[in-house]
Amino acid sequence: MYSVELRGATKRYPSGGTEAVVALDDVDFAVEPGEFVAVVGPSGSGKSTLLNVLGLLDDPTEGWRLLNGTDVTELSVAERTTARKGSIGFVFQDFHLLPALTAVENVALPTAFDPGDASDRAVDLLRRFGLGDRLDHEPSELSGGQKQRVAIARSLINDPAVLLADEPTGNLDTDTGESILAEFGRVKEEGVAVIAVTHDPLVEEYADRVVELTDGVLVGEDVDEATSVDDTLGDRDSESPLAPGEQ
Amino acid sequence: MAGRNLRRNRVRTVLAVLGVCIGVLAVAALGIFGNVLALGANDAIGDIGTQVVVSPNSDTGVESLSTTDVAEIRRAVDDPAVGDPAVVPLYSDNGIVAGASSQTFATIYGVEEPDLAFEAAEGELPDRHRQGAIIGAGVATDLNIGTGDTVEIVGSQVRVVAVLAETQTFSPVAPDDAVFLPESAFAADGYAQALIISESGETAQAAADAIRREVNAREDRVDLFELAAIVDEINGFFDLLSTFLLGLGAISLVVAGVSILNVMLMSTVERRQEIGVMRAVGVTRRDVLRVLLAEAGLIGAAGAAAGTVLTVILVAALVAATPAVDASLVIDPTNGYYLLLALGFGVGVGIISGAYPAWKAANERPVEALRS
Repeated sequence: MYSVELRGATKRYPSGGTEAVVALDDVDFAVEPGEFVAVVGPSGSGKSTLLNVLGLLDDPTEGWRLLNGTDVTELSVAERTTARKGSIGFVFQDFHLLPALTAVENVALPTAFDPGDASDRAVDLLRRFGLGDRLDHEPSELSGGQKQRVAIARSLINDPAVLLADEPTGNLDTDTGESILAEFGRVKEEGVAVIAVTHDPLVEEYADRVVELTDGVLVGEDVDEATSVDDTLGDRDSESPLAPGEQ
Repeated sequence: MAGRNLRRNRVRTVLAVLGVCIGVLAVAALGIFGNVLALGANDAIGDIGTQVVVSPNSDTGVESLSTTDVAEIRRAVDDPAVGDPAVVPLYSDNGIVAGASSQTFATIYGVEEPDLAFEAAEGELPDRHRQGAIIGAGVATDLNIGTGDTVEIVGSQVRVVAVLAETQTFSPVAPDDAVFLPESAFAADGYAQALIISESGETAQAAADAIRREVNAREDRVDLFELAAIVDEINGFFDLLSTFLLGLGAISLVVAGVSILNVMLMSTVERRQEIGVMRAVGVTRRDVLRVLLAEAGLIGAAGAAAGTVLTVILVAALVAATPAVDASLVIDPTNGYYLLLALGFGVGVGIISGAYPAWKAANERPVEALRS
């Protein structure tokens, strides 16, 4: 069973003109537990859309989406929120920590409005990421690498099945980036599926598999279902004359 | 969490709190001022509403009230429904009253039971007025006389048995400038008027209605002079004034509400990404709404509390600086009602103004919020 899976997922955005913008075009994509997949591609190729659709922040226009084998293609807003909280962790390029909260409170944020106190688990997670001496610091008192570690700890507070990272090393220097990727390695060891959207070649080194997204079409060095590549090649060629060079 | 978010932008929060504070101050202070004015006026004019003066109707040829008329009046008001008011018939005349050194022109009344209608400042009012003179406060001051002195009233020497307290209110009988003698001093055929002393404005009006019904049944024998209706009008005016002042205060509270709306809107726009992150990591829309509403409510509550305290200080300072205002009027419990009203209004305005930005922020799609 895959942790998260897209089948024939298409995402169209209505645009001002007559034709809708196709951000994802019949994408088949699946990640197993404990697998680290890097998604690469030029700007505007639909990477963020893929992440949003995988992360239940956005719904596909067509196709199916499965989370731990359960169909989660069409959920209400409240159900999506619950599913996100239960199964998905997010790590952002800009860390997106709440400036008013301490490191521990930021980590516990997803559970902040639930009964019970998740502070102990938040402290454990922060200690695991080497931030045991920064528990009560606010984000403004932390370095970039420390902030990203807090963000990873936050994404793990609810034992997610999938960790989605959007340019996780984009704002970090190489050394710090490497240490963050090493953390992803450890997270992966625990059976979490890690999907990172990135421009950073460093991420590709750490990933088990790299897939490339171009104009909403998924091509990969190691795609499970090779047929999907063939199926979509013709479409892509007709839509984008620039794409073949990248193939 | 709401509190900490507010502390992040202190200046803006303080300005919003100040806005509510001034709004609440305006509502509470203007409300209390209006109320004190109304209470003070009620205090001053309240008594005239409780008196009814019955006089003979000269238009129908009645020159004086006979003992039969008085008996009929007593019968008319002898009813628990009209509060069983006291009926004090008065003879009336005018004349010169002279003391040891000076003299004055005064109304001279003949009265049998003065203690039903008047209060003494000096001496005691007898149950039955049989001898001596009771002097109004104004006359006593003019002639510089007191209890035990002798005055000359229309040529005869009379000892003063009591001096009346100065009346606080307007009364058509004008006891301040009058002298009260026993009924036996008068040789008149009938009473010039009868005073009906009621407990309240309503019973006074009921008594007047009863007299009209009973005594004036066949012909209009008596004229009634009652002020209860006028008092009602005056009270109505003060109600209007209070409402008007409250309305003025409410305008400033609306302005304060707009300032909270602005603060909350700015704050949610500024924190768009943060709210997007909260939504993305699984915080429900309801919880986001709750945090933002709590922020607005806190601003409202802090402003309202500060405004209430300021109002109390302001009113206390004004009372201290204005001797004319009776402190007992200000600590009247009805003023507390205005304080509570303003307090509730302040918190309410905070929450209502915070509702739209909170709802907007909570319902924004996290994807859009994170993209910016």
